[in-house]
Amino acid sequence: MIFHIGYLILITAAVLAVFGMIAGFWGGRQRNVKLALSSYHAVYAVAGLVSLAAAILWYALLTDRFEVAYVWNHSERALPVFYKFSALWGGQAGSLLFWLLILSGFGAAAAFANRRRHWALMPYVNAVMLGTSLFFAILLIFAANPFRLASFVPQDGQGLNPLLQNYWMVLHPVMLYLGYVGLAVPFAFAVGALLSKRLDNEWVRTVRRWTLIPWMFLSAGILMGSQWAYMELGWGGYWAWDPVENASFLPWLTATAFLHSIVVQEQRGILKVWNVTLIWMTYFLVILGTFTTRSGVLESVHSFARSDVGPFFLVFMVIILFGFLWLLFKRLPLLRDEQAIESYTSREAAFMANNWLFAGIAFATLWGTFFPMFSEILTGDRISVAAPFFNKVNGPLFLLLILLMGAAPLLGWRRTSRQAFRKQFTWPTLIGAATGVAIWLLYDAGYPAIGLAACAFAAATIVQEYVRGVQARRITSGESIPAAMGNLWRRNGRRYGGYLVHLGIVLIATAVIGNEFFQQNTNVTLANGESVTLGRYEIAYTGLEPNRKVNHIEYGARLMIFDQKSGKTLGSILPRRNIYDKTPEQPTSEVGLRMTLLEDVYVVLNGWETGGSTATFTMYVNPLTIWMWIGGLVLVLGTLVASWPHPGRRRSEAAASIAYAVGSAGD
Amino acid sequence: MADLSDIRSETPDAQAPAPASGMVVVWRAIFVGILVLFVVLLAWRLWDTNKSEHRASGMAPPFTFTTFEGETISLDDLQGQGVVVNFWASWCDPCRDEAALLEQAWRREKDNGIVFIGLDYLDQEPAAKAYLAEFGVTYPNGPDLRSEAARRYGIKGVPETFFINSAGEIVQTVIGPIVNEAQMEAYLAEIRP
Repeated sequence: MIFHIGYLILITAAVLAVFGMIAGFWGGRQRNVKLALSSYHAVYAVAGLVSLAAAILWYALLTDRFEVAYVWNHSERALPVFYKFSALWGGQAGSLLFWLLILSGFGAAAAFANRRRHWALMPYVNAVMLGTSLFFAILLIFAANPFRLASFVPQDGQGLNPLLQNYWMVLHPVMLYLGYVGLAVPFAFAVGALLSKRLDNEWVRTVRRWTLIPWMFLSAGILMGSQWAYMELGWGGYWAWDPVENASFLPWLTATAFLHSIVVQEQRGILKVWNVTLIWMTYFLVILGTFTTRSGVLESVHSFARSDVGPFFLVFMVIILFGFLWLLFKRLPLLRDEQAIESYTSREAAFMANNWLFAGIAFATLWGTFFPMFSEILTGDRISVAAPFFNKVNGPLFLLLILLMGAAPLLGWRRTSRQAFRKQFTWPTLIGAATGVAIWLLYDAGYPAIGLAACAFAAATIVQEYVRGVQARRITSGESIPAAMGNLWRRNGRRYGGYLVHLGIVLIATAVIGNEFFQQNTNVTLANGESVTLGRYEIAYTGLEPNRKVNHIEYGARLMIFDQKSGKTLGSILPRRNIYDKTPEQPTSEVGLRMTLLEDVYVVLNGWETGGSTATFTMYVNPLTIWMWIGGLVLVLGTLVASWPHPGRRRSEAAASIAYAVGSAGD
Repeated sequence: MADLSDIRSETPDAQAPAPASGMVVVWRAIFVGILVLFVVLLAWRLWDTNKSEHRASGMAPPFTFTTFEGETISLDDLQGQGVVVNFWASWCDPCRDEAALLEQAWRREKDNGIVFIGLDYLDQEPAAKAYLAEFGVTYPNGPDLRSEAARRYGIKGVPETFFINSAGEIVQTVIGPIVNEAQMEAYLAEIRP
């Protein structure tokens, strides 16, 4: 009974979304206050209804109601409560509902935050958000009903996919969805700006924070996915250019480009067409990514249960692509740039180069992801595009991007004078060059020397900016160093938070270079008591330790790690295999990991003889990997600093918007 | 982006709808054309995927498996006979409710041109063999390696049973156990050659 109500709630939400959409579009066009208000109310109501539907599915999962097909397929009695809770996004129908839940949440938040501002834009924004919600509600109603009942009441469920029974895998989709779905908000604002013809900087200023926060979640989600792949899949890597990974990476690339290019529009009034195009592409790539992961058109390790959502997605994508293009072409005359770029050594020129690079990487990645599929259709042969293609094409582009990331903040708007150039670039260039030469002499390796030199250069520019900022504050106000840092973040969070994000990216790039060029690995079978040498370690196998858990048995192989030269004991690790009761053919692996700031010892247990008299391992030494996760934290911290509302800034924004409402602003 | 700025420089009045010069029209057409091509290829691919993967409602997807006794059986070789394909697993409790009924039906029908096949879904061989011994199952049974058949048939879980007629069409799909003898008889009647 209650599950029929759940289904009815979804239908009601869809009907309300249709109403709210009409109210928004029509109310915005007619400048009708009542209709505009209705669109707000519809956004709130849809969010409420979807939360209720999600609560019902959660209830079914937590109380083991296996008559619901979704619960039967993705849960079991013995599943720990935590995973029962997360099973909501463990399968197709549930994750679509979860997606809709976040989307309607973002819609309500955007509506609430702007309930007294941007009255010309908001009805359209609400309408676009509701339109997207409507699409997902239709999917749930017609193609993937999470409340479908089985024809009998099963005793127990089938269990959650063992690969998903991992903390990272519980968090990773949540972060990704928060990022993915959140990017609908800036797109909605762009459409609102185009429809309302308010194409000045109003929407761009508002949208910055609404892009930064989803961007942060998306970055964190991608990194958590890497962490999961690293810890759980056990192939020693963190990124495989798998179609589904690319699906999350593509909108990240265009969103990053967008975050940079809107700065140029704000400061200089140029790149207006480019900005709306970028956010449209981002939104399209989000929907495309969702489509490809759920329709089975691409082969991937991330196989979702298939269902019939594909055709719905196609129709929706056609609407997004051609509806937006029609609107854009219609509004082109209003999107004139106010100025032209004056010099190649200006910051706006650097931003342009940044955008071209991001667009290039995005295009190469898109091409590599879809080429196998298209070639199979057209020629019948499946040509697989693997990691080497992506690394070869994207590697150099990323290198340029890091150099640019270091250089751009040092350039002035319009143009940079020669003295300023010298003052800004001398030290970072020297440090970068010294690092490159040192790496080259030490390891006789060209590519990593260039890569690490670029990283050192970029890091040095950031440090230089911080040092100058802190010094300036100490001279003017005599603050202590920590207080000066704090004030830099508080008063100029956009700039200094941005530098932190850049530093995070540099750290991640360093880890990637270390792993790409200096990884060592070996495959060995060891008898109990035997040992092997890898890098500067000696690793000894000392026996198998089985351990019964709630819904699986855990087999761990104890390994002792010694320093190869001194013979000192460095610690012990326990790579494991989990054999799940429900899906014994699909054992999962937990790697044994010893993390240090310099390198990780990373061991996968592949198999063992009865009783553990011998065991087979794949062992890796992964240099600098920990800096990827540290870089991720720095990146998140930096984004928070950059988007934290500053009291003074908020006042001035409010004043501007009041002035705008009164009509005295230069419109 | 160069082309976009061209568009702008050629529009005299900001309020007028974009007057399209020759080049602009060409550029837009190329841009839209690429997107149309992309969507068409996606649609094609989707249709292709669905054709091969969702045949479960029409023709029975082909599969080959090796029984626990080592005999290799292919669905194609069974043309002209009715086939009952049952997906099961030793850890599946509802499967136990139908096991005896399936075996009875098989003993009754094997001379009437109906073949029963059991495909063991995500299981361990010792447990599966014990299960077969427990119910005295005599019709061909084997593991569905890599869940290949399960995926082709798009099963929702176990048990799930497909009734295939002599023309190779899926006539009935039963999700969950068949516990009713009359129901079994009705389905068998539909596929008896």
